[in-house]
Amino acid sequence: MKEKKREGVLDILKKVLFVDILKGLSVTLKYNVSRSVTVRYPDEEKWIPYQRFRGAHTLNRDEEGRELCVACELCVKACPTGCITVVPQEDDTGRGIADRVPKIWKVDLVRCLFCGYCEDACPTTAVRLGRDYELACFNRTDAVRDRERLLRPQEVPEGFEGGMVVSARFERTKEGIRVKPDIWKPRDKDWWKKV
Amino acid sequence: MTTGLVTLKINGREVTVREGTLILDAAKEAGFDIPTFCYQANLSGLGSCRMCLVEIEGQRKLQPSCITPVMPDMNVFTETDTVKMTRSAMLEFLLSNHPLDCPVCDKGGECELQDLVYKHGPRKGRFAEDKVRHHDKDYILSPVIVKNANRCVQCMRCVRVCKEVVGRGVLGAVGRGVHQEETSFLRTRLDCDHCGMCIEVCPVGSFMRLPYRYRARPWDLVSARSVCGYCATGCRLTLERRGDTVVRAIANPEDGFNRKLLCARGRFGYDVMNSEERIKTPLVKERDGSFRPVSWDRALELMKEAILRAGPERAAGVASATLTNEELYLFQKFMRKVVGTANMDSTSRWSAESSLKFMEAAGIRGGGTSVYQCAESDVVVVLGGQLSEENPVTDYILRYINGARRNTLVIASPRGMKLDSSAQLSVRTVPATTGAFIAALLKALVEKKEVSMEGMEAVKGLTVEELSGVCGVNADDIRWIAARLLTAGSVGVLAGTDMLRYDDGAEELALLVRLLENTVRDVRVLPLLDRANQRGAWDMGVHPYLEPGYRPAQRRGHDVHGIVELADSGGLGFLYLLGEDVLGLYPDRAGVERALSRVGFLVVQDSFMTGSAPMANLVLPMAMYGEKHGTMTNQEGRVQRMEAVRRPEGEVRTPLETIGRAGNLIEKDFPVVRPGDVWKEIQKQVPGYGEVRGMEAFKGASADQVAELKPSFSYAVPERAEGEFWLLTGNHLFHGARLSQHSGILRELLGGCVVEIGSTAAQRLGVGEGDMVEVEARGYRERLPVRIREGTPDGVAFMPENFDGKDANRFFDKDRVVSTVRIRPYKKQGE
Repeated sequence: MKEKKREGVLDILKKVLFVDILKGLSVTLKYNVSRSVTVRYPDEEKWIPYQRFRGAHTLNRDEEGRELCVACELCVKACPTGCITVVPQEDDTGRGIADRVPKIWKVDLVRCLFCGYCEDACPTTAVRLGRDYELACFNRTDAVRDRERLLRPQEVPEGFEGGMVVSARFERTKEGIRVKPDIWKPRDKDWWKKV
Repeated sequence: MTTGLVTLKINGREVTVREGTLILDAAKEAGFDIPTFCYQANLSGLGSCRMCLVEIEGQRKLQPSCITPVMPDMNVFTETDTVKMTRSAMLEFLLSNHPLDCPVCDKGGECELQDLVYKHGPRKGRFAEDKVRHHDKDYILSPVIVKNANRCVQCMRCVRVCKEVVGRGVLGAVGRGVHQEETSFLRTRLDCDHCGMCIEVCPVGSFMRLPYRYRARPWDLVSARSVCGYCATGCRLTLERRGDTVVRAIANPEDGFNRKLLCARGRFGYDVMNSEERIKTPLVKERDGSFRPVSWDRALELMKEAILRAGPERAAGVASATLTNEELYLFQKFMRKVVGTANMDSTSRWSAESSLKFMEAAGIRGGGTSVYQCAESDVVVVLGGQLSEENPVTDYILRYINGARRNTLVIASPRGMKLDSSAQLSVRTVPATTGAFIAALLKALVEKKEVSMEGMEAVKGLTVEELSGVCGVNADDIRWIAARLLTAGSVGVLAGTDMLRYDDGAEELALLVRLLENTVRDVRVLPLLDRANQRGAWDMGVHPYLEPGYRPAQRRGHDVHGIVELADSGGLGFLYLLGEDVLGLYPDRAGVERALSRVGFLVVQDSFMTGSAPMANLVLPMAMYGEKHGTMTNQEGRVQRMEAVRRPEGEVRTPLETIGRAGNLIEKDFPVVRPGDVWKEIQKQVPGYGEVRGMEAFKGASADQVAELKPSFSYAVPERAEGEFWLLTGNHLFHGARLSQHSGILRELLGGCVVEIGSTAAQRLGVGEGDMVEVEARGYRERLPVRIREGTPDGVAFMPENFDGKDANRFFDKDRVVSTVRIRPYKKQGE
């Protein structure tokens, strides 16, 4: 009987002092003062994937700026979805490493399943799956990337290690919107530790 | 030849083959595949690549199977460890200098070296030394051939094919050992047939097609088996397209009688299909002379009105002998049943009578004669024409068979030709005197051997000397040929189109064949025709006097000469030119131009704006070879099926569809048909075609005789004033009919008209190769570059009939047997 009475008192005391509420709020309050886990994408931050990541395609050049692609069409042959089109042409002006260069090199990212077989097939390491993962577009034809676009230097260089959040800027230009990362300003090198 | 049989063991399996068979072929028969590089069927054995080494019991060293003939009781092993190791080592040696630039190489994907290394090769190379490099950049050998010597495996196939088959011998091996390079002398541009045989036989990417360079990879291509449309040799070729563009034509060694053989026209003339100059929509002529595009419905309506307005007596049609059997059959059915006329022809160059005689003499209405059987005869006689240029692949076949069998090859023609070098005797006849030449031959035969045969009585009254004076051939040569013919076990006669053109010699040829059949027994006659389906056109009854299957027509119509005369007199209300350029080819240009302008309603259906097309009231676009299904009958009587590689673009339609719809518009029960339906009807209606099955088969014979042949035995030398030239015409080596001038690649080989004369004539005129001369006759003058042809006598000139704007037929006089021209060196002013 007595014990029952004591419990009742404690209960009242807990209620008066908001103990349970504080207990619940403590998690919330703790996160309120701890460092944020959320990536403030796209306005301030952007996740740069690891090197092994397979994003949109990119065509590489050698150190002298010559195109590495020799338009051998092995990537086309290897592609399980048939999303790559290559048409070769002859050009011995020094545009490529051989006198055979692509006249057309395009990839339809809507069809692509990012398996990376094209990379494996490429005898000159011209085609790589880069770290561009922002593939949304308003029009399906916009998802087809042509040679000029693919030859542009990547935002994240091949040698950059990745696996971190860096600061970024959200830009709205005539061509559309994009999130421009600044890879030399890492926000959080070891983001996973926080989770 | 001995045909004893030899029994030997290959890998323990017993196999019996003919004596003299190579181990390689015997192994193939036994079911064992031996890899090779330098071996090529029909070429001389070389045994240089050492890929085909096999082990023979009792011999210490491995032996090359591609040059070792079988021996009785041989015990051959092709799959032992030693053999396998040797193959692998040979490939390692080849790869020690082969640049591994497969991604760039056009051969990648269909390369024999790739295939063999994949199958037999080492997985690792042990050579660390630098590779031998002959040059850094690929160099161009001809407008169609590009060369990379670094990739060469020194199999010498190109050198041998060029010498033994093509007969040019412009390629050779420069240097020795690893520094050996198969190329032209000093790597200069080739002056050759540009046939691309070196490309076709090259096992690696050392010789490549320049027009196909970096256009596609083999696995990109969609292919279809077609038949070449440039001459009546009728080579089987495989057309390949990437997207909608046809990018190459190849000869598949597994397919067709021509195996790997094709000439420049066949291998590089495919790009007419891609030409921008093609007619794309129906065009109707306005009052002011310009053309306006119209719909097919409207065009066919206009055609119907014109046919009904003209009536059967005032209508006519000329169809090209390059169309398919189905189209030609339907054309004649349309003309006979719907239009109601027999005024039709399948040529614009010779008369119906001369074609009747030729058909009878050359056995056209009979069953087929294989070109190989004909070429393998003990004595082969080539009569008239310019075989090497008109039918290049027949020339290749004759050359390599002659080289291997060493049979007697005799040529009698007015112009020099490449095949002369293979011939035991090559004589030059005066143009249009083939008849006199054969008559002299007959007389010489009778002199040597008493023959009592119907029709030979008149020959007895002739003398060889007198006839040799007419045809310009030495009497001793004629007697030599006759002696050879009498001792031969078999004789093959190849009869050229000169006989058709000049209505000359067919009667005598028929008599000669009958005589030889009595003495030699085994006689084969092969017509040499210049239009792809000339034989089919005659079979299908596109002839004013003949219905399908050589049945005599109930009512005879006009041939092309009659049609032109009728038109000239204003008596033609409707003329349908289906793929035939009468204006460009009829042997009297001024006359035919006047005649066409007087036709009530002229319909021209063609792929390009031909010479005749601007004169037409209605121009219709036409699909060409590679864009339609059907069958073609070549000069041998071989019926070959062809497939479309792509659909015709836009408004372009096949003649089959056009004729079907036009016929249906006029007569409701004339069906709009597909090629298969017409083929079934042909099989029922045309004797000789009923048994034809599959992709390729010889047609059978049809019984009706088409002409009575009675030689007149009266001959005269065609008129020619002192210093003038007899002007001959025909196809050029790089051009066929009026179509090939639209092929960009062939135009690079020969861009425009030339005039060809012999070296003695050139010396007399003081001109050299490429110099300009002025050709003049009948008030026309033309400045043309000279080509010198060794072996053509003075007084004979040749102009190809293939070029618009420089038409050879301006110089022709219809009333003369052979027209003459004056040729003067042209000097620029101030020189």
